[in-house]
Amino acid sequence: MRPVTPRGFRDVLPYEAAEREVLSAAMSQAISAWGYGPVETPVVEEYTTLEAGMGSSLEGTAFRLFDSDGRLLALRPEMTVPIARLVATRLVQEPGAQRLRYAAQVYREHASLRGQARQFTQVGVELVGTGGPAADAEVVAVLVSALRAAGLADFKVAIGTVAVLRALLTASQMPDPWQCKVLDAAHQRNLVEIDRLTAGDDLPPELARAISGVPRLRGDAAIDDCRALADACGCADVLEGFDETLDLIAAAGVAEFVSVDFGVVRSFDYYTGMVLEVDAPGLGVAVGGGGRYDGVLKALGSDAPAAGFAIGLERLRIALSEQDVNVTVPALDAVLGGDDAAEILRSAARLRAAGWCTRLDTVADGAGLVSEAARLGATEALVARDGEIVRLDRAGEPAGVLAYPLPAPTAREGGEVR
Amino acid sequence: MNGMLSMGRNGRPLRIAVPKGSLFPDSVRLLQEVGLDVGALPDPGRLLTISAGGVEYIIGKPTDIPIYVAYGAVDVAIAGKDTLVEADMEVVEMVDLGFGACRFVVAEPEEAAATVLEHYRDLGVIRVATKYPRITERYFAEQGVQAEIVKLHGNIEIAPLIGIADRVVDITATGTTLRDNHLRIVDDVLESTARFVANPVSLKTRAAEVTELANRLAEVSVQ
Repeated sequence: MRPVTPRGFRDVLPYEAAEREVLSAAMSQAISAWGYGPVETPVVEEYTTLEAGMGSSLEGTAFRLFDSDGRLLALRPEMTVPIARLVATRLVQEPGAQRLRYAAQVYREHASLRGQARQFTQVGVELVGTGGPAADAEVVAVLVSALRAAGLADFKVAIGTVAVLRALLTASQMPDPWQCKVLDAAHQRNLVEIDRLTAGDDLPPELARAISGVPRLRGDAAIDDCRALADACGCADVLEGFDETLDLIAAAGVAEFVSVDFGVVRSFDYYTGMVLEVDAPGLGVAVGGGGRYDGVLKALGSDAPAAGFAIGLERLRIALSEQDVNVTVPALDAVLGGDDAAEILRSAARLRAAGWCTRLDTVADGAGLVSEAARLGATEALVARDGEIVRLDRAGEPAGVLAYPLPAPTAREGGEVR
Repeated sequence: MNGMLSMGRNGRPLRIAVPKGSLFPDSVRLLQEVGLDVGALPDPGRLLTISAGGVEYIIGKPTDIPIYVAYGAVDVAIAGKDTLVEADMEVVEMVDLGFGACRFVVAEPEEAAATVLEHYRDLGVIRVATKYPRITERYFAEQGVQAEIVKLHGNIEIAPLIGIADRVVDITATGTTLRDNHLRIVDDVLESTARFVANPVSLKTRAAEVTELANRLAEVSVQ
């Protein structure tokens, strides 16, 4: 038999894994600089927990399983609800806001043959216990820091707010099923359906204009246009906080990476305020997203405002390669061979102590060792012999001995670039 | 390396997917009407990509077009509502273009009404043949009717006649084919017209071009 991985799951081989590690570490470090501490949560959650936090968007998304007690579990489809659960149950007594970060695998069910992975990796944060424009702006600023630390130069964080559409729907005083249909249509990005729903006679024209117009607003004039539309419906104050968020984003020095877009829609419907999406030119799908989800913790038993973002590591790598950004992975300094395994191990210990990243090779020698070093991208081929470490030249002949104390690794240009 | 990709990022022309088949002539006409240079598009021969006036046209199979858009292979496209529903991909549906109207209907053999109901009572399930399994599944789920769906690739009308299915869900413009095969329309499932759709990211990164095209198309398409 030739085993396969289940559909939508894949192995990550050393080259790619090394790059992913570097990117993840760079982003985690940038986020840490904002004082966010790492957390880990179980890969599985009780289905009911996820359902309480995510509502109907869990249906069709969750990878479900039964355990031997017959309990319905689900692999986490995202990290927001698991971390909200963690905060609501474990950190509820802690004073002040929680600033948490993660880098974790998440799992989503997809129909077959659509080219979609069922496991992917997200790097992100959750800021729990503080709300309002200051927290929203902080989340955006941390997001920009993380993306820049990853080396992504060309990207835009599109931010909007679901509060406007919700306020307009409430102001419409239309029946609930109708309001749900409009929200669903907005969620499916179906502007044609929104137009159809708002075309009826029972809706005042200014509300029809606003409800069908707001999801189409983006760019520099968007906020003024949105205010004009909302004003006409008596919902002007809904944008107050959003204005302040934009001012604070400017104060954080990241305004150049941010654009206003009231058409931003996320795949989960727990968002209550700001929503954001990261787009990189050349990639047809968002690199990341997030927003404010003030209701989720309450649903899990501990009322607190919260916001966060997640960056998709796989999509980030595609965006980086589209932008010709090379990820520098730690390179190998030397391949070390020799006849005597004990001597190889002793010499390797010395090399590592001197900062050499050294790979052992107890099989090859001479030219074979040199070609192995070339294949692995190592700067040097070395042989441990008679208590000394001997350099090999390209032909595999001895070309001098490393003097003690051992020198630093032979200079390389910022590691290996692939 | 990656030269083509980086060109794609900065200077790539707007990519528009156009469905071949019945929606093709009206799609081309509409694109002409909004003032786009369509080049060789009206008579593409065997060409599948055509560049003209700073736009790149991709001619695709109608059912594949939602996939092109969702993955960002094209920025915008004209696609039938039926293919959008069936594909269930993440695209922004911007304008109802009005043309290419057709209905999805449930039909059964003219003389079979009683038999179908009897079957359903006896077997608890009716068997439905269709080219559109997702639309069909959704429809019967909404109706609360248990259905076994058989996906066929063509000649759906024949399915009840040769005993593969009790009913069919198929697309019809006039109902003639169904009548000719002694099938009677039982219910409407969905009304479809051609739509102008956009990739969600293109709508942001190329907002001006995409929005302007959508607005112009909305103006010229008669509702």
